Amino acid sequence: MFKGLTLLLLLISATIQAEPWPGEQWPSGSPISNVEALENYAFPPRDDTTRKGIRTDALLIIRDGQIIYERYAGPTNAQTPHLTWSISKSLMAAVLGVAYGEGLFKLEDPVAKFYPPLAKHPQIKIADLLHWASGLDWQEDYEYAPLKSSVVAMLYTRGHRDMAAYTADHDSYAPPGQAFRYSSGDSNLLAAALKNIVGPQRYPDYPWTALFEPLGIRHAVWETDATGTFVASSYAYLTARDLARVGLLMARDGRWNDRQLLPKEWLAFNLTPFAGYKAHQDEAVPGGQWWLNRAADGAASPWPDAPLDTFAALGHWGQAMYVIPSEKLLIVRYGDDRDGSYRHNELLKRVMQAVRP
Amino acid sequence: MKRLLLLLLVLLLGWIVYERENLWAFPDIISAYTAKEYCSCRYVMNNDAEYCRGYVKQWLPTSQFSDDPARKTITVSGMGRSNSAQWQSERQGCRLNP
Repeated sequence: MFKGLTLLLLLISATIQAEPWPGEQWPSGSPISNVEALENYAFPPRDDTTRKGIRTDALLIIRDGQIIYERYAGPTNAQTPHLTWSISKSLMAAVLGVAYGEGLFKLEDPVAKFYPPLAKHPQIKIADLLHWASGLDWQEDYEYAPLKSSVVAMLYTRGHRDMAAYTADHDSYAPPGQAFRYSSGDSNLLAAALKNIVGPQRYPDYPWTALFEPLGIRHAVWETDATGTFVASSYAYLTARDLARVGLLMARDGRWNDRQLLPKEWLAFNLTPFAGYKAHQDEAVPGGQWWLNRAADGAASPWPDAPLDTFAALGHWGQAMYVIPSEKLLIVRYGDDRDGSYRHNELLKRVMQAVRP
Repeated sequence: MKRLLLLLLVLLLGWIVYERENLWAFPDIISAYTAKEYCSCRYVMNNDAEYCRGYVKQWLPTSQFSDDPARKTITVSGMGRSNSAQWQSERQGCRLNP
């Protein structure tokens, strides 16, 4: 009798705690079947010669920690460590979050404390860089203004040997912490600051020891500049399934199984809209190196067909990871969109429709 | 008319001096971009060579392209400049050579 009761109690507690987590592989849930509208949008006939239109490389949907949809196209498959472009910025924020949890820095610390070349801009704080609000006079245009583009010069010409130093050389146009201006340079200053935050011995392995290995990510690539600083703005590569592990970490308040990897206050900062953002300055509302589907500065939320708690990591040419905690949903979308016709809201709308019972 | 031309010439020269750093760096973009992103396409993402050639294609042509698979080194020329990128390691992927 007593034995039976214990067993029953054990069973009940196991059911209550049944929260699927990926081990070596992701568990599978019941696949969604109502995918026609979603696939019509994400996977139209693909033209790799003209590179026109929407060209999705990967679409992975996870609900409550289980894969419910997965499709690849073009040369990409489940084993491809795909270029994430600016999703790298949100990944660096997660890496920094682990260092924050170690008590190694504060959001209000001046960046120059950890990265001396920024001494000419002593007022810039870590929080300002996370908000893309350094006040440095940065030009982010990629293709349309190549002569003036800071980001093209940083990645390929004048800045590629030492991207943080190239960024620090910019003049300022506004006091730090006041105005939003999206800047890959700000993100690479964070990567340079991390070097002294964790120390040069731990730095080369830190993204792996701090974030990738605890999450079971086995094949991450993160390219560096010639000084060994991670290109936090642009050059992390992960499979869709591995990127989703970071999404699950974010969706579950920074916890991985029983371990609080990211402090809750760090996540709260990541997911709080930056007060200095003006309506329509960018395609979504900036938090701390993450993008939020929130109403801000009198404008409606950027993705009206997605829940208001949706947040995302976004990258050039259509890379995206959307996290929707209220729906226990997470979506990784890799692509190679060269003409800008892809719309986040349209994909989210069709995913929401497809997952409804 | 002559004065106007002179004024335009002065303005043009002023612009060239003002933008000299950007103008000097500009011709490197096409070869550096092609070398770096091809290297990562081929040796980090492990896509096939033909796909990667299409992947890095830009509106400006390159004049020379070589991929040394043994050293995983890509060298590209275009607009009178040459740049190369090399695969470093499993974790660090590719990098433009300094």
